[in-house]
Amino acid sequence: MASTLRSSAAARRIFAAAKPTTSAIRLLPQTRVAAFHASQRNQILPPGPQVVHGTVNDPVPVPTPSASHGSYHWAFERIIALGMIPLTVAPFAAGTANPALDAALGTALVLHSHIGFDACVTDYFPKRQYAKTRALMVWLLRASTITAAVGLFSIQTNDVGLTEAIKRFWRA
Amino acid sequence: MLSTRVLSRGLLRSARPRSTAFFTPRRMITTESIPASDASSILAAQRLLRPVSPHLSIYQAQLTWYMSMTTRITGVALSGVFYLYAIGYVLASPFGVDMSVANVSKKWGELNGAIKTAVKAPLAACFGYHFWNGVRHLVWDTGRELTVRGVYRTGYGVLGLTALSTLGLLVI
Amino acid sequence: MASLRQPTLRLLASSNIRRVASPTIFNTTRSLATLAEGEVAQKKQPLIKKFSIYRWSPDEPTKKPQMQEYSLDLNECGPMVLDALIKIKNEMDPTLTFRRSCREGICGSCAMNIEGTNTLACLSRINRDASSTSRIYPLPHMYVVKDLVPDLTNFYKQYKSIQPYLQSKEPAPNGKEFLQSKEDRKKLDGLYECILCACCSTSCPSYWWNQEEYLGPAVLMQAYRWLADSRDGKSGQRKDMLDNSMSLYRCHTIMNCARTCPKGLNPGLAIAKIKMMMVQSA
Repeated sequence: MASTLRSSAAARRIFAAAKPTTSAIRLLPQTRVAAFHASQRNQILPPGPQVVHGTVNDPVPVPTPSASHGSYHWAFERIIALGMIPLTVAPFAAGTANPALDAALGTALVLHSHIGFDACVTDYFPKRQYAKTRALMVWLLRASTITAAVGLFSIQTNDVGLTEAIKRFWRA
Repeated sequence: MLSTRVLSRGLLRSARPRSTAFFTPRRMITTESIPASDASSILAAQRLLRPVSPHLSIYQAQLTWYMSMTTRITGVALSGVFYLYAIGYVLASPFGVDMSVANVSKKWGELNGAIKTAVKAPLAACFGYHFWNGVRHLVWDTGRELTVRGVYRTGYGVLGLTALSTLGLLVI
Repeated sequence: MASLRQPTLRLLASSNIRRVASPTIFNTTRSLATLAEGEVAQKKQPLIKKFSIYRWSPDEPTKKPQMQEYSLDLNECGPMVLDALIKIKNEMDPTLTFRRSCREGICGSCAMNIEGTNTLACLSRINRDASSTSRIYPLPHMYVVKDLVPDLTNFYKQYKSIQPYLQSKEPAPNGKEFLQSKEDRKKLDGLYECILCACCSTSCPSYWWNQEEYLGPAVLMQAYRWLADSRDGKSGQRKDMLDNSMSLYRCHTIMNCARTCPKGLNPGLAIAKIKMMMVQSA
C-alpha cells in the first residue's frame, strides 16, 4: 500500500517534469472536473465497506433450504393476492352487508398487508448489516399486525363491519 | 502485483532517452519488498476503502422499475392507512377518543369538499394502480407477457386502467 | 493504431500545426483509400462531444469520486463508446481505467452504465447529438476498484455457488456421452448465450439492496439453464439450494434485467420459470 502511494507520487513528479511536451500534444481544452453529486453522506442505509468472505475461488455459502420461507411462502403470497381480486370487488358490488365476505376480506387484507410490509423489511433492512434494526422492525411489524387484526375484529363485531366502514368513509 | 508495477515504472524511466539529461532522474521511487503472503491482507485493506458506485440517482427512468417502485409505494400507503385506523381503533379508545366508524366518518364528512377530494383522489389512484398492477404481476407469475414488449404493453394498459378506475371511484 | 501509442507518432498525429496545415495522418491514410483527392480538402467540421466520466482512484482513497469531463471530436473517433474511451485513454488521459477486451460484445468486459442504462461500451453507439453530454458510470451499486472498474468478486462467487456444470447420477447410458433431443436442446436457447457481463444483475434494484444474499438475474438465469437441461440429474438439489427467502425470492419481477441485457436475453422470464418449477415440485 505504502509503496503504491509513494510510487504514484513519483509518477506524478515524472509527469510534472514532462509537462511541456504533454500540453503540446493536447488539441482541445478537454478536461473539467466536477464534484460528484451523490455524496456518501446523503445515503439512506449505506451498504458499508466491502468485506469478502473466503477467497475469490470459494462459492458464496448456500442457505439451508426452508420451503416455508421460500416456495411455500411464495405460493401462499400468490393465493392471497389472487383472492384479493374478487374480495375487494364482491362485498361492495353485493350491496347488502355480508358477514362472511366481510370476514374473508378482512383476513386477506391483514395477511396481504403483513406479507407486503414484511417484504419491505427483508429488502431494506439486511440482517447481515442492520441486525438490530431488522429485529426491531420485524417485532414492530408483528405487534402492528396483531393490533390491527384486533382492531379489525372489533370493527367487524362491535361496529358496522369493514365493508360498511369503507363505504361510509368514502361517501361521507 | 504492486512490486511489478513499481518495476515497470522503473523500466519505463530507464528507457527514457538520455537527451533530457538536464533533469537527472536518480532514485525517485523507493521500493520495499512485500512477501506474497501479504497479498490477501493488502487486498482486504484496499477493499475497505472502495466507494459504492452510484445507482438510484443515475439509473435511467424506465417504466420497468418505476412501476415496480410505485406498486410498493401504493401498497404501503393503502395498508398504512388501514393499519393506522385499525391500530388507532384499539389504542385510542382507552384514552376516551371515540374512534367508532360513525363518529370518525361524521367528523370526516364535515370537512371541506376540496380537502376530501384531495385525500380521496390519491387513495383512489393508489388502490386502482395497486389492483391493476397486482393483476399484471399475477399474469407474469404464470410466465405470460414476460418479455420487454409485454412489460411495456401491459404497463401502459395498467396506467390507462388506473386513470379510468380512479375517475370511476371518485364519482361513486 | 498500435503504432500510434508511440509518443513521437502520437505527437505527429495530433499536433496542432499539422492539423491546420493538412489532415492528420489518420485521415490522410483513410481518405486516400476511400475518397478522391479533391474531396480530401473538404474536411468535415469537428463535431465536439462531451463525455462525463466517473473517476475514483485507489491511490487517493480519501478523495471523493468525481465526474471528469472530456471533449472529443466525433469525426476523428470510432462510432462506439468504447472507441471514445480508448481514444481518451490513448490521447488525453492515460490514467482513465476501464476493462475491455474483445470489442465485439462477446467477452462482457466493458459492461458499464452509459447514459443511465447498463450496457457494453463496445456495442453502444455514441449519441451524435453534440449538445448533450454523455455520462458514463461504472455498473451501479458495485464496489469500485478504480474509475469504471467494479469488483465482480461476489458476482463470480455467486455464479460458482450454483454449480454451473452438468451433474449426473449415473454415467452416460451408451458409455460415451449424454444425448439430447432437438426439443430439449431448444430449451437452452436464450439461456446459454449469456456472457456474464453483470449488466442485468447490477440493473436490478433488489440486487442493489441485497447483493450479498440475493443471487441476481444473471446467476439465476444460469441456475435455470442447468435446471432446464434434460441431461442434468441434480435438479432436486439445485432447487433446494434456491428454496429460501433470499437467494431467489428477492426477485420482484421488476424486469430491469430484460430491459438492459445487451445480448437481448430475458433473465426475468427464466426466474419466473424457476418459481413455477419450485411450486410444481414442492
